[in-house]
Amino acid sequence: MRNDRNSFIFRLLLTLFVILVINFFLPRMMPGDPFSTTSDDDSGDEVIIMTEEQRQYYMNYYGLDKPVHEQFLVYLKNLLKADLGRSIYYKMPVSDVIMLHLPWTMFIVLASTVISTIAGVILGTFSAKNRKKGSDRIMMTGLIAFAEIPSFLLGLIMLLIFSVHLRLFPLAGAITPFAHYSGLGEQLWDILYHACLPVMTLSLAQLTGVYLLTRNTLITVTTKDYIRTARAKGLGEKTVWTRHALRNALLPVVTRAGFMIGIMMGGVVLVESVFSYPGIGMTLRSAVVGRDYPLIQGILLVIAVSILICNLLVDKIYSKLDPRVTI
Amino acid sequence: MSLLKINDLKCHYQTDTHTVKAVDSVSFEIKEGEILGIVGESGSGKTTAALSIMGLLPENTAIKGEIIYNEKVISSLSEAEMDRFRWKDIAIVFQNGIEVLNPVMKVGIQVMEPMNRHLDISQDETRGKCADLFRAVHLDPKWMDSYPHQLSGGMRQRVLLAMALSCDPKLLILDEVTSALDAFTRKEIRDLLVELQKKNGYTMLMISHDITFVSSVASRVAVMYSGRVVETGPVKDILVSPRHPYTRGLVHSTPDIFVYKDLWGIPGDIHTNSDFTGCPFFSRCNQKIKKCNESAPELVPVGDEREIACHRGGVAELLKANDLNYSYQLPDGHYLKAVNDVDLEIMEGEVLAIVGQTGSGKSTLAHILANVIKPENGKVTFMNESSNKANYGNKLNGIQIVFQDPFNSTSNRFTVLDAIKEPLDINKIWSKEERVEMAKNALELVHLPCTDAFLNKYCGELSGGQRQRVALARAMVMQPKLLIADEVTSALDVSTSANVMRLLKGLQNRRGFAMIYISHDLSMTLKIADRIAVMNHGRIVEMGNSHEVMLSPSDEYTKRLIDSKISV
Ligand SMILES: Nc1ncnc2c1ncn2[C@@H]1O[C@H](COP(=O)(O)OP(=O)(O)OP(=O)(O)O)[C@@H](O)[C@H]1O
Ligand code: SF4
Ligand SMILES: [Mg+2]
Repeated sequence: MRNDRNSFIFRLLLTLFVILVINFFLPRMMPGDPFSTTSDDDSGDEVIIMTEEQRQYYMNYYGLDKPVHEQFLVYLKNLLKADLGRSIYYKMPVSDVIMLHLPWTMFIVLASTVISTIAGVILGTFSAKNRKKGSDRIMMTGLIAFAEIPSFLLGLIMLLIFSVHLRLFPLAGAITPFAHYSGLGEQLWDILYHACLPVMTLSLAQLTGVYLLTRNTLITVTTKDYIRTARAKGLGEKTVWTRHALRNALLPVVTRAGFMIGIMMGGVVLVESVFSYPGIGMTLRSAVVGRDYPLIQGILLVIAVSILICNLLVDKIYSKLDPRVTI
Repeated sequence: MSLLKINDLKCHYQTDTHTVKAVDSVSFEIKEGEILGIVGESGSGKTTAALSIMGLLPENTAIKGEIIYNEKVISSLSEAEMDRFRWKDIAIVFQNGIEVLNPVMKVGIQVMEPMNRHLDISQDETRGKCADLFRAVHLDPKWMDSYPHQLSGGMRQRVLLAMALSCDPKLLILDEVTSALDAFTRKEIRDLLVELQKKNGYTMLMISHDITFVSSVASRVAVMYSGRVVETGPVKDILVSPRHPYTRGLVHSTPDIFVYKDLWGIPGDIHTNSDFTGCPFFSRCNQKIKKCNESAPELVPVGDEREIACHRGGVAELLKANDLNYSYQLPDGHYLKAVNDVDLEIMEGEVLAIVGQTGSGKSTLAHILANVIKPENGKVTFMNESSNKANYGNKLNGIQIVFQDPFNSTSNRFTVLDAIKEPLDINKIWSKEERVEMAKNALELVHLPCTDAFLNKYCGELSGGQRQRVALARAMVMQPKLLIADEVTSALDVSTSANVMRLLKGLQNRRGFAMIYISHDLSMTLKIADRIAVMNHGRIVEMGNSHEVMLSPSDEYTKRLIDSKISV
């Protein structure tokens, strides 16, 4: 047991280290540096051109003229002090930049996970119950076809329909700029109003996966002996389905939800860009464009760590849900 | 009054590719307070029958027939209506498997679940009752808060039992409750069941492929084969004198019943062709007749509360001898009664061993039965024909005899091939080519090479063991229905004789002929015999199931014989 724990911690540290290495070197392998970006694919931004002197000054200021391995050691040393460095573009500590944007991302990721899981489980259960009937076939075919649409495209379509044409939802942002709220309720409403489309897009993108998983697991579970036992006990169809079938079928669904949170933290970039939603996804994008090394590193680190945390949580929750598993 | 009655039940599983007639025209009833056992090998449809009573068969099953519980037809009820009977009236202990209990629920909760549903009692009472149930099945109530995977197989079986008893059902169905358990736990569960039944008078339907287990608890058994009931009757009678060929095979291949005998299963497999309309046992039966291929026999009463489904009324009689007598005149003019008032019968496919000291008249008896010598009086009938009229030694499917001494039975001057096909040549059976072919087949049967070199060897050049095999092959070419083997191994060394015996029994088992095996060696005969006749001074002094003769001999002479065996 002790040994297990030690090796677990060792594995965790090793993973973290590998992430740090990749984090550090990946941005530096991209062509260009923060101060010689001459062309910018974000057409709205102005092109910054510096003289060679200015550039040298800044390179020196941010320590970018030192040999790479020295930079890496400094990076590690600062990390130990919980210092993520300063953003070159925002001119403020990276951690502050992240703290400003992370909550938005977390909000839409969590919300869409909850929504897609609940909806997927309900639809999946319905489908499993009506297995081989028309309603199941139609639902399955439809959802599978739907899942083929890439999420950013889905987001664009939603944006076009609901914001541009119907004008039901805002085109961008997480809150109305410069708004004055008369109370907390109104502020909350504004946030929900802005988050609606991104959350819906993310939820829809997740829905088919959850649906299929629920449906298939349920179908497998209902052939298990314990379902027959439950039937034999005369518990009634409802109890058999909820207490015995669904309870067992939810195990993989919960696991999936956990993993998906982690994966979505990374995948949210495109959707956030479509809706100009100020989460870390969008921030990462502009950081990459501006070769803002410290910020890129910081965000990637946060994403990686959140994936790790999610996986840990999943293990913990799973062992709570399934008594057969002991950690 | 019968608590449960099943009328002409058919459960056919319909898969995409074929239909499995898991239960086919099954009828039986269980009286209140009775324990009925259903036995049969794996796949015979026992579980399917049990599930049909509970209304738990999967959707792809075509169900016909009637299931009547307490004078109410329950086979046509809807799920919701059926729920009122489930567990409260009829409960089942499922065939043990790791997933019979819900893996993510504490076992106590699972035991309490049906009580909460069906009984009108408070949560505290339920918990109390659950603890009582645990104690009743000899399980510490502390296990109530465990999950199924934390319990051993035996403990899970007890939980399943406690669960089944939770609503005091009137009818308890037990499906293979002990098959997954070790012998010790099995006995504990058995005792527990007997105890519970005595105390509460449950009516039980006990399903198992273990006929010993069932018969130690049940009062009546139904034997199932390939979805049909082939024999029913009181447990004792079925064990002592199984009448259906399948039941006989089942009883004979049960080690706990035939303690000394080597295990020889029933050859062949259950046929799987669902379009076949004949007797389900047809492909494995050694006494089938034409009719068996055409229609399946109905289960009919044959007296003594027994029922049999067989066109021949069960295992048929093959040979019968009455009042046989034979004397030799000694040089001093006296007569020696070598065979003295012998009555005996032998059934199809049966192995009867005749044991006795040298000079007790065994060989003389064998010669009379084989029609080699004529008895002074008495008569022998073989397949309902008198032995005098039909010379069944010269025909195919008749009687063949293999003698004690291989050096006498096969002439030195014959080649192996000639020796083997001689009986065919003499009786002009088949064409010349066919005879050679048959001889080769027979050689293969007795595990001898059938190369030309070997075929053209002279019998004189063979070893004792080989010559005895050639003698056996010579008998086999006539495809006998009865083979008399007279001390066939006495002239051979221990190892060779063991091989010949195994060969002989193997042949008998596979080909299904009956055999009279004559020997003075008791321990050897016990390994292969179904029945034993003990001969002394020309008389049969004791005859019965081999294990019974061994375990409780009634005759003084038999006892001496057995003692002499044990003292060796
Ligand atoms: N759901 C099913 N679909 C199709 N065929 C089935 C199904 N369940 C059982 N069978 C078939 O029905 C036959 C009888 O099965 P059943 O489980 O009743 O046998 P059993 O006598 O209980 O055997 P065992 O001793 O192994 O438990 C078998 O041939 C089996 O393969
Ligand atoms: S004799 Fe015929 S009916 Fe009887 S068991 Fe054999 S095959 Fe079936
Ligand atoms: Mg079974």
